[in-house]
Amino acid sequence: MSRLAPDRWAAIVLFGAAAVTPLFVRDTFILDSVILILLWGALSAAWNVAGGYAGQVSLGHAAFFGIGAYAAALMSARYGRSPWLGLGVGVLLSIGAGAMIGYLSNRLKGPYFALSTIAFAEVLKIVASRWRGFTAGSEGVPVPFRPGFWTLGLGHVAWLYLILVLALGCYALQIYLERSRIGYQLAGVREDEDAAEALGIATRRRKVQAIVVSAALTSASGSLWAQYVGFVDPTHVFSIDLSVRFALNAIIGGIGTALGPFLGSVLITSLETYLRATFSGIKAGFTGIYLIIYGVVLILIVRFAPEGLTGIASRLRARRIRAHA
Amino acid sequence: MDPAARLGFAQIDVLAQLAVSTVLLGGIYALIAVGLTLIFGIMRVVNFAHGEFLMLGMYLAFFAFTMRNLDPYLVLLAAIPIFFGVGLIVYVLIMKGVIHASHNVQIFTTVGLSTALQNVALVLWSGDFQVFRPWESSVVLRVAGTAFNLSQVIAFAVAVALTVALIAFMKWTHTGRVMRATAQDRDAATLMGIDTDRVYRLTFAIGIACVGAAGVLVSPLYAAYPQAGLQFVTLAYVVVVLGGLGDMAGAMLGSLIVAAVEVGGSYVFGAAWKEVFYFLLFIGVLVFRPAGIFGQRGAETLGT
Repeated sequence: MSRLAPDRWAAIVLFGAAAVTPLFVRDTFILDSVILILLWGALSAAWNVAGGYAGQVSLGHAAFFGIGAYAAALMSARYGRSPWLGLGVGVLLSIGAGAMIGYLSNRLKGPYFALSTIAFAEVLKIVASRWRGFTAGSEGVPVPFRPGFWTLGLGHVAWLYLILVLALGCYALQIYLERSRIGYQLAGVREDEDAAEALGIATRRRKVQAIVVSAALTSASGSLWAQYVGFVDPTHVFSIDLSVRFALNAIIGGIGTALGPFLGSVLITSLETYLRATFSGIKAGFTGIYLIIYGVVLILIVRFAPEGLTGIASRLRARRIRAHA
Repeated sequence: MDPAARLGFAQIDVLAQLAVSTVLLGGIYALIAVGLTLIFGIMRVVNFAHGEFLMLGMYLAFFAFTMRNLDPYLVLLAAIPIFFGVGLIVYVLIMKGVIHASHNVQIFTTVGLSTALQNVALVLWSGDFQVFRPWESSVVLRVAGTAFNLSQVIAFAVAVALTVALIAFMKWTHTGRVMRATAQDRDAATLMGIDTDRVYRLTFAIGIACVGAAGVLVSPLYAAYPQAGLQFVTLAYVVVVLGGLGDMAGAMLGSLIVAAVEVGGSYVFGAAWKEVFYFLLFIGVLVFRPAGIFGQRGAETLGT
């Protein structure tokens, strides 16, 4: 029997701790924090599939998040149908949108690709805030609360397990990308596209696939987020800030690693929750303060530790092993 | 916000008004875009924080006017050296370390800077829209069936003067030649004895000085708020990609095209939808001519 790597142990501890929390704690504040950590972690993991494993760095993933959020919210608020149906519709729409963006990524590289994804999310933001007849415009859509699993009117404990399943799904997909043929092919595309193509890898198809899968997961998470939070606001769900946040967790934790997005989410989401609790009196000031910290941390991490926390950890471990040898 | 919509169409000649609005708007966009394209062309870095310096310029003019009653066009004289200095400091503290790094590192460094600056403004000055009206904004000029206010005309004239001065500087001075040489081939320039670090420092400072000046110029026309830079900078990306990244004359033409799309689109479909048009234009250009309208083929993959 082979021994588990330390980051796998860390993942077991992290998800295990989340799973047993409701057994010991009934405090909604703590349950809410755990749910958000898992949800933001899942979203960053979804981003990581395209941005980390395939190297297609998008700054417009809020587009898919917004599509999912609106699909679920409108399906239940406007049509009185199950938000699960909306989740499905959102995923289908996001697959289409992801294929479109994936096609762009075949032509554009680096900053050009990032710019085009921003533009895409901005177009959707404008459409959502101006198309009053369908989306209710910039007022946003309140999601009605109807108790039950089919209508996604759940208590905190049920939400925690539902989001845990989502997070585990995203984590498992990343593990699959680390050890499967398709995962190695994506790494090849990321590191040297020409070389990968010369080896017979269908680089274009792989890139589109990575973005489509990433888009579908982001959209599904967006749908669940909308039902959990209960309100969809176009300027938030399609914002660049949100797209940056998906990337931020992954970069802080370790871009292109399975544990990274969740590790980053533990840090960033706890920081946000802590600051929200501490500065809840000064509303505008609070939002600003944690976003200033985001920005500064982002600059420092990419400059001094581009491999993130998991990178730092494995460097320290390598040093210790060398010292013992 | 465009003048055509504000004045109503009854008393003015619509087509002439639309044309004049396009040109006035295009001049201002050009000054915003020219700094962005300069930084990209020479440093090969897309500055995602460009709009935040515009926002800071708008706040500078706003506070100078409300607290010291200073005319924004007087503030402009101080703003150019101030933002030049800000550019130098930001280059030395932040950009210098990532200039040779990968695209992803550069993208997230400037994105981080953008997030931090936006929220410093939010904490210090709140999210409220700040508007002020110097006397120039109340002077309406009427020429040949068109009407516009003096602030717009001054902003246009100064923006075009600064843009043309910058293009002339790049073309005819020794420093400009050194900068262009660095843009063409970093390694060869170093071998010729050019101090590329000094070139990058200067480039970034000039780019920031341009956009800071643009911020002061647009401050009487648009409200200042922490995310004010975003609407202009997304538009500047469109301009810069249209004109070809790094091409300053292209940026001027791109500005006119974007302004025309904006003015025409908001006249025909209403101001609410105008942004959709230039984003669609943007995506269209990225798909069909990613190197810009008259850019070289393959330029979009430069430096990857």
